[in-house]
This record gives sequence, C-alpha cells and structure tokens, in this order.
Amino acid sequence: MPTVSVTVAREVTEAIKVPRALFLPWPMGHHFGVPFRRDLQRRVVLAALGLLESSEQPGTILDLPIKWADVRREAKTLPEQGRKL
Amino acid sequence: MSVPYLREAAAQDDLGKLVRFVRLHLGDGNEAVGKEEIDRSWAEAIKTLLRDAPVDREFIARVLETNESTLALLFFHLHFCFIRGSGRWIHDGSR
Amino acid sequence: MMEADKRTSSAADPREVGTQLRPGLWHAINERYPGSMIRKESFVPQARLRKPLGASRLTLISSCGVQLKTDQPLDVCHPFGDFRFQRVPSGGKHDDLIIHQLKYPRDDADLDINVIFPIERLQELSEEGRLGGLTPNFFSFIGYNMDPEKFERTVAEGIANAVVEEERAECALLAPA
Repeated sequence: MPTVSVTVAREVTEAIKVPRALFLPWPMGHHFGVPFRRDLQRRVVLAALGLLESSEQPGTILDLPIKWADVRREAKTLPEQGRKL
Repeated sequence: MSVPYLREAAAQDDLGKLVRFVRLHLGDGNEAVGKEEIDRSWAEAIKTLLRDAPVDREFIARVLETNESTLALLFFHLHFCFIRGSGRWIHDGSR
Repeated sequence: MMEADKRTSSAADPREVGTQLRPGLWHAINERYPGSMIRKESFVPQARLRKPLGASRLTLISSCGVQLKTDQPLDVCHPFGDFRFQRVPSGGKHDDLIIHQLKYPRDDADLDINVIFPIERLQELSEEGRLGGLTPNFFSFIGYNMDPEKFERTVAEGIANAVVEEERAECALLAPA
C-alpha cells in the first residue's frame, strides 16, 4: 500500500528509510502547522498527498521550506476565530 | 534504554542502569529533572497526608492483593498522579 | 549586542533559516535510551497508487496518542510504552477528541487537533473530491516505546492488518508527533 510520512526529524526518517516523506523544519507536535491556520494545514496535507502520485524513488524526502519563525509571526496576527487562544 | 537492554541490566542487578531509566522516563528524557520529579511526587504525597483526610485502608488492602505487575505499573501511575497535583508539569518533549 | 552579532545569531537560528529545529535527534535519543531507535538497512519499496488520488480511499495513522474522549485512555505512565492502538472515527471533530501522550509539546494540538492530526482537513479534501474517500476509522497510538521489536509485532502489524482487511485503505498518510 502506498504510504507517505510527514516528518520534522529528517535524520530519523532517513534512518528508517521510508518510501516517501515530506520534511518540515518545525518543532515536534506541529507537523501540520499552528492552530486554526486551515490554509497552512491544507498546504502541508496536500504537499504530502502529492508525493503519493509524484515520487518515484524509495526514500524520497521532499522539503517544504516554510520557516517556523514565519509561521509563528503569521499566527500572532490571526483573529481568534471564535476560539480562546 | 530499550527493553532488551533493561532486561540485561535487571539480570545483572545493575541498579544504576535501572534507576537511570526510571529518572529519564519521569524526567521527560532528562535524568537530573527525573530525580527532582521523584522527590516532588513523594513531597506531594506527604502534603496530601498532612491534610489528614480519611483514608480507605480496606481499599488499599484489596489493591495490594492484586498481581505484582499491576502494582508495579500502579506505582508509576501514582507518581504521575501526585505530580499532576503539584501543578508543575514538565512532560512536553522539550528536554 | 552589535548588529553583526545579531545578524549572525539570527542566521544561525533554525527557526529563521528553515533547518531541522533539533539536529542530532536520532543520536540524542539513542544515547539516552540505547537500543530504542530504529535504523533500517534497506529502503521500504514504494507501492504505487492503483487509481488517481481523487479516486483512492485514504487512512491516517498517527503516533500522537489521539482518541475519542469516550474511550479508555492509552497508558502514558507505563515506562515501556502502551502497545495498543486506538481507532478514531474519520468523521470525528476536534471537540470529540483528546490526546493521551507525553513527550511532545501538545498545547497547540489541544487547541486545534489538526495541528498534529489533520482529521478535519482530510474530511474537507474528501468532500471536495481531492480524495476518493476516507476509511471509516483512522488509527492512533503512543509513539513512545522502549521495545521496537514488540512494537512491530503488536502495534505495527495490528494496524497494518486492520487498515488492509477491515478498512480497505488504498493509501495512507503517516503522521508522527
């Protein structure tokens, strides 16, 4: 069965030699982004799912080079969206 | 320390390795923090007893009759229970 | 601090430059817990989608320890890990779910589960036709374990069998914590 992983620890993923993975330079516990950033979460999910169709070599790791500092800066400017932050 | 590593340590009665593992587990991967956490949970247990609320000794007697594995795991659960009561929670993977 | 120093400090900060935030993690964990980290000698072969993604049924498998609030909690206290896994209905919402897991920062996931377990994002993509559908259940377990061999024999095999035989998944998204 085709699988794709999302990882923030590239070297751990490299050691396990998964079929295909998406790497993000983000902290543990935040593989898909920050709270209520639906667009960012979708972007990560779609990038990972895209690898199911596009990757051709076992061990493919695609980098999604979105800096964590930028993610946090944008998160601070979000309205509350009806939930307590 | 993996379980096979710990089994070897237990067979050799290597207290140092076994205790180190306990401290790592209770200290979110940090041995020094784990040592403090062990002291903290005992301190919380003492504080609780100082409140002098009624205790259910029959319940304790029934629990102590269960198998050793359950009691060993309960020991860990009780540690975390008292740590939660202390209001300081360090388990976030940051160590 | 001099401006040049500030720029150097900023350039070295992985959050600013986009490099792995905790380099050396594999070795750090394996040093603390010898034998706990897995290293494979050969690559897992790539299986191919048999149909386009828009016609394929997806499952989500996560080590974040998420489960329904109504289910008995996974055991976060056991020093060797909990070698069970949970089924999480793929129609679930954030308010139905709770995380039972230590050893990773979950403050943001507690606000929005999709940060670590993108269940609602996958529901949306399925409704939009970007996916052929979702399996009735997703899968979750506690990633912390000190017995890789037992983990493969219990959790990994159990989920693999369930995903193929019961859920009829055609592809899988694997999300660690």
